[in-house]
Amino acid sequence: MAIAQERPTTTVQGRRDPRLPSRALGLAVRYTLMSLLAVIFFAPFVLSFLGTFKSNQEITAWPPAILPSEWRWENWARAWNVQIGGVEGNVFSKWLFNSIWLGVVNMVTQVFFSAMVGYGFARIRFPGKELLFTFILATMALPGFVTLIPGYAFYARLGWIDTYLPLLLPSLVVPFGILVMTQFFKSLPVELEEAAYIDGASRFTTFVRVALPLSRPALITLAILQFQSSWNNFIGPLLYLRSPELMTLTVGLNYFKSQFRTEWTSILVGSMFNAIPILIIFFIFNKYYMSSGSTAGLAGQ
Amino acid sequence: MAATTPPVSRKQSRGMSIGQREALTGYLFISPYLISASIFTVGLLIYAFYISLTDLRETFSRNFNFIGLQNYITALTNRDFQISLVNVIWYALIVCSLQTVGALALALMLNAKLPGMRIFRTLFYAPSVASSVVISLIFLWLYIRTGFINYFLGLIGLPNETAWLQTPTGLFEVIGQQFNPEFRISNQFLRGPSVAWMAIMAMNIFTTIPTLMLLFLAALQDIPEYIYEAAQIDGATGWKAFWTMTLPMLRPTVVLVLILGTIGTLQVFDQVAIMTAGGPVKTTLTPAYLIYTKTLGSETSAQAGLAAAMAFILAAIIVLITWMQRRFIEQSSERL
Repeated sequence: MAIAQERPTTTVQGRRDPRLPSRALGLAVRYTLMSLLAVIFFAPFVLSFLGTFKSNQEITAWPPAILPSEWRWENWARAWNVQIGGVEGNVFSKWLFNSIWLGVVNMVTQVFFSAMVGYGFARIRFPGKELLFTFILATMALPGFVTLIPGYAFYARLGWIDTYLPLLLPSLVVPFGILVMTQFFKSLPVELEEAAYIDGASRFTTFVRVALPLSRPALITLAILQFQSSWNNFIGPLLYLRSPELMTLTVGLNYFKSQFRTEWTSILVGSMFNAIPILIIFFIFNKYYMSSGSTAGLAGQ
Repeated sequence: MAATTPPVSRKQSRGMSIGQREALTGYLFISPYLISASIFTVGLLIYAFYISLTDLRETFSRNFNFIGLQNYITALTNRDFQISLVNVIWYALIVCSLQTVGALALALMLNAKLPGMRIFRTLFYAPSVASSVVISLIFLWLYIRTGFINYFLGLIGLPNETAWLQTPTGLFEVIGQQFNPEFRISNQFLRGPSVAWMAIMAMNIFTTIPTLMLLFLAALQDIPEYIYEAAQIDGATGWKAFWTMTLPMLRPTVVLVLILGTIGTLQVFDQVAIMTAGGPVKTTLTPAYLIYTKTLGSETSAQAGLAAAMAFILAAIIVLITWMQRRFIEQSSERL
């Protein structure tokens, strides 16, 4: 499962095609089309990245120019130093910090608990297992919105509004993670664990010392996806975090936009603070992302 | 658990059989889920349902009465809720179908065994890791009257004066106005999706295609090579091979992509909250956004009980539609 076997990218098929010129033309068309598509997919980011260097007049001027007339690097410094009422110090750095630590805590707890629960489902026999697993699948089909907003009333009664608790506790372990890890452990040969077990290690020790190290690729894939979902989460922080001081970058940006509607350069610089880190993570862990296609596919079966 | 105890003595401890001991270990392993699910899934669902049966208005209020199913009746006859449902159904229909076709086309293009495909795959996928917030903010800027969308439309000779996110004109009105500039449809439900709404749809299709492409690509790479070779011997190549071999083998992935798309689009929220707040004249209002405003509204406008009922109705619609999709596609496969 998890890591899609990388097919050897053999160059053009071995067989000789008699219609060689038309084949070459087809290839040229294909590559041109794909390059064009790549440009189109990236255009919004490139245009707004270039836009961050424009002045506030230039950024809404007609006709829009792709390149800034003058590279105003100070826009980035200005956005970084933006201060708003009710928040001490620079808001964007504060929001960035909140997003990072929430993402890391969510990632670590979710990966560990998903692996633990997944191991239980994959390896240990207990009554009611099939029923519980079906229940997990059923809750995955349930639209998240049903509990999300009435949850607001629930957490309000608990006094959890404007704290990080509603963003941390309910997502300690999520069905998607359990499913991915269960399928992964099922695909691992059981012999290694049996050897450890016979040597007298407890189930938990076997899990931590033998099974976890073997599942590195699945854990990394899951970790990236969970970090990203926390990093990009909008509705959760929007509902539960009220004071600007506590906000994450996503809701912070929305708050900033509602306060300074015409400050386009700062809005775009702020967007870059959110987009660039996740893009860097993507390019570093590219191969794990690509395997997430089969992971998600598996979750849907 | 003592890690060093020999297994035999451990299994006999506390007078439990091996099976009981094993079961206890199992429950301990899954205990994080059991605790979490009983509070945050089952507990919340019960609480949400209870709220939906009360006339709770402002969320923090302790002043409310049990009113039975009244909220469900109110919700279904609520004009805003009806408008939002019509809006979101247009959204789901158009976005789901176009993004599924687009993702499949992109995956087929990338599935060729040619040099450079990995690089293109990476390049195509990269934009979809950005958050919906960033995408929405960027497009908010691209869609302004003097923005790049109008600029590029102008370059290829199309009308470039539209204030995309402020235009409430419906699709059918736009079509009618091609023939008669005075064309209007008075019934709000028959105008079709507004220009603003279609602009958000286009953005959503554009940003979801790469994610779904990855699902199709994974499925395409699982189709064994010999199947294509067998098809080739039978004389099925190109389009014929696609319709008779590839597409039927992709059926589970198509179902998955449609279901994921349906669940996602029917709950669309982020884009609306950031870009339009339901406007212009409620043409981009969605159930999710309506539920949000009714939950967090000010003391006078909040109707938390009603919002909870709307959330359950929305959930029922989503479950029903995804169930129908599954059945329909499974049945059509049996007929083949």
